[in-house]
Amino acid sequence: MIIAERKPLGEIAMMVAPHEKVTVIGCRSCVAICLAGGEKEVDTLVSAMKLKSMNEGRTQYFDGFVLERQCEKEWVKEVEDKILAADVVLSMSCSLGAQTIGDLYPEKIVVPGLNTAMFGVPEEQGVWSEKCLGCGDCIIHTTGGICPIARCAKSMLNGPCGGSSNGHCEVNLEIECAWYAIYERLKLQDRLDLMDTVRPPKEWSTSHSGGRRVIVREDAKLTPHQIRGKEASL
Amino acid sequence: MKRRVQVVICRTCSGAADVLDVDRLLRVASDAPYVGSAVIVNYACNKKSISEIVDDAKSKEVDRLLLVPCSKKDVSPTLFQAYVKKAKMNEFLMETVDLVGEAALPHRDDPARAQAKAEAKLLAAIARTALLEPLHKITEDMRTKNVVVIGAGVAGVEAATTAANLGMHTIIIEKSEKKLKVPGVMMTKSRVISTEGHAGNYSLSIEAGEKRETLECAAVVVASGGDWSDAERRFIDAAPDSKPLYQLDRDVSEGKTPDGTVIIIDTPDPEGARTAAQDFAWEEALDCAIEIRKKSPATEVYLLFQEMRAMGLAELAYKEAAGLGVTFVRYDAKRPPEFDSEDGNRVTVLDMAQDETLSIAFDALYYASVSPNPDNIAIADALRIPMSPSGGIRRGSIQRGPVTTLRPGIFVCGSAKFPKSEGMARLEGRAAGLLAAQFAAAGEVESGGSVAEVAPEKCSACLTCVRTCPYEAPFIGVAGKAEIAIQMCQGCGMCAGICPSKAIELHHFTDEQLLTEAAVYLRGDF
Ligand code: SF4
Ligand code: SF4
Ligand code: SF4
Ligand code: SF4
Repeated sequence: MIIAERKPLGEIAMMVAPHEKVTVIGCRSCVAICLAGGEKEVDTLVSAMKLKSMNEGRTQYFDGFVLERQCEKEWVKEVEDKILAADVVLSMSCSLGAQTIGDLYPEKIVVPGLNTAMFGVPEEQGVWSEKCLGCGDCIIHTTGGICPIARCAKSMLNGPCGGSSNGHCEVNLEIECAWYAIYERLKLQDRLDLMDTVRPPKEWSTSHSGGRRVIVREDAKLTPHQIRGKEASL
Repeated sequence: MKRRVQVVICRTCSGAADVLDVDRLLRVASDAPYVGSAVIVNYACNKKSISEIVDDAKSKEVDRLLLVPCSKKDVSPTLFQAYVKKAKMNEFLMETVDLVGEAALPHRDDPARAQAKAEAKLLAAIARTALLEPLHKITEDMRTKNVVVIGAGVAGVEAATTAANLGMHTIIIEKSEKKLKVPGVMMTKSRVISTEGHAGNYSLSIEAGEKRETLECAAVVVASGGDWSDAERRFIDAAPDSKPLYQLDRDVSEGKTPDGTVIIIDTPDPEGARTAAQDFAWEEALDCAIEIRKKSPATEVYLLFQEMRAMGLAELAYKEAAGLGVTFVRYDAKRPPEFDSEDGNRVTVLDMAQDETLSIAFDALYYASVSPNPDNIAIADALRIPMSPSGGIRRGSIQRGPVTTLRPGIFVCGSAKFPKSEGMARLEGRAAGLLAAQFAAAGEVESGGSVAEVAPEKCSACLTCVRTCPYEAPFIGVAGKAEIAIQMCQGCGMCAGICPSKAIELHHFTDEQLLTEAAVYLRGDF
């Protein structure tokens, strides 16, 4: 899922300072789970902002809501009136949610309350770690199920760099060397031969390097006929 | 629901510190919303007052009670129970507020401030009481009457014997090879590794060598003892034949008193790194010293300590020991006594009281404290009970449950909490055995009441509660939403505090109740 982190209070206050009516909108999905933008965080932020704004002598109104998923238009429309009534929308979802609101209501100013950080997993209560970069051409079947693109600081494809030491990465000794982990995993699975198999340079055009990606499933799209039918029934 | 509050102010307690104007408190309460009756009684805790209160409750048709007594923690729960029964009231529609501990005492130099704070607290408590909801408990039958005792030391054996004598099927789990013949008690050489279930129906996983077994039981007594192993003692080199105090206790009770000069020191590690000073078996040390001086007046006895905590009747023992010529030496933990065994045993210590350095040649050295049992960590983990900062098993309230733990149906006795004298360990063992037997004999166990509950429509199945709960009460149910197993929930509130979707509420401590209480308190009125 998407892992995000709340921006510092000062930064958020600065973004919304010029506006009077602030609508804070959270998301119940990924960012709730990583304790960054769920109902509780929205409530907490609204209270904190009210206090801060009062202390700093501003007249501002804060109101908070939480959507099932902020990255889907239908959910966003549920709070349309709150968005239209606001001078600024402070999104407490990942940037996908913030941009969904922005695209739906282009005249509205939408500011991000969170820093969208990564695709990651909860390792234990309170710890999240990155596991994938979304390269668009997954290769983890050749690397013991461990992604070297995301988990290796240099996205090395054929074994570790010279900086791997005692299982740790030279970029930051706190993190594990992905290639050390891959080696251990392959050894456990008795597939060490994969270490010797050369992976050719990766086709990066499926990644962000190929420009903004849009996926279209023609079979899933509604036909013009279906669209007309839907419109008629509305 | 009527939401009519009866406010009962105990004059004896609330007026005790002579700071609060009790009559004014009564006026404040009478004028507050929701209050159906406000009365002052003398000694709220005596039987006569209880009938008075109940009569008042009936005639004024109130449905809930706010008691303004001494400290919340000291009010006997039996008092409440008597009231609840007579007034036919739901037990969760009752609250207490401690105006003495929270207003009168902290501001005793400034009565006006104390009074203002007391009034605000009183109003806040009335607001909270008015918002309380009646809660209900459920009962469940126990599958067995087994009582499991962990540890076959003095306390453990006493606990097991007591429980067995009361007709419980009792099993001792002991990690060492120790074999004992206690009638009616089974013993197994094993360790507990985990617990499932809940009070009354625990199922313990125990490990004996390679073998793993499950042991069903209604109650558990932890009697893991202290760390009596003599290894690692900091000064064992300096004073090679130093012994734990219980050894001296045994010798003395068998009539063997040591000759020459005897030193009793508070902890095996005078710097206090391994054992806290309060873990000293003071009373036992004093008793031994007295016995020695009485039986062999030629023996010199020195007591070396960081802090003497001879409380209650032990103060008399202190006096007696001093009268018998026992020398008390208080030393500074930062400048621990130094031992030297080159030329006979000798200790050099700075006596803080006299500010003079003593050099004492001695013949025997006893330490009156032991380290906590290192196994406590594993035991506490397995049973999911909290530990005290000094490494012992944490007990309940000293007044109400000195041998209980924070989990119902699990009891603790002896040095598992912190070092105890043998006599005390035996006494506690008996108490714990008795309570465990009583608990198991009930045959059914209550749960529920002030527990957590999930609002499924708000839950995003994020698993945060599942990961956070120390008692493994939450689980994701068939509907794909979190649910809480009532019997497992201890009402600690951690899940409610952390749920990112605010889907969990802890009954009796709901947001509405807590926030209203805080708001009324901060404003000072409704
Ligand atoms: S906006 Fe979408 S992607 Fe972002 S946190 Fe919410 S559900 Fe996840
Ligand atoms: S190889 Fe690409 S798609 Fe697969 S885990 Fe790594 S970054 Fe993600
Ligand atoms: S923490 Fe809250 S949202 Fe998450 S699973 Fe538990 S009840 Fe549901
Ligand atoms: S209140 Fe929540 S965290 Fe505490 S025991 Fe109950 S379910 Fe577990």
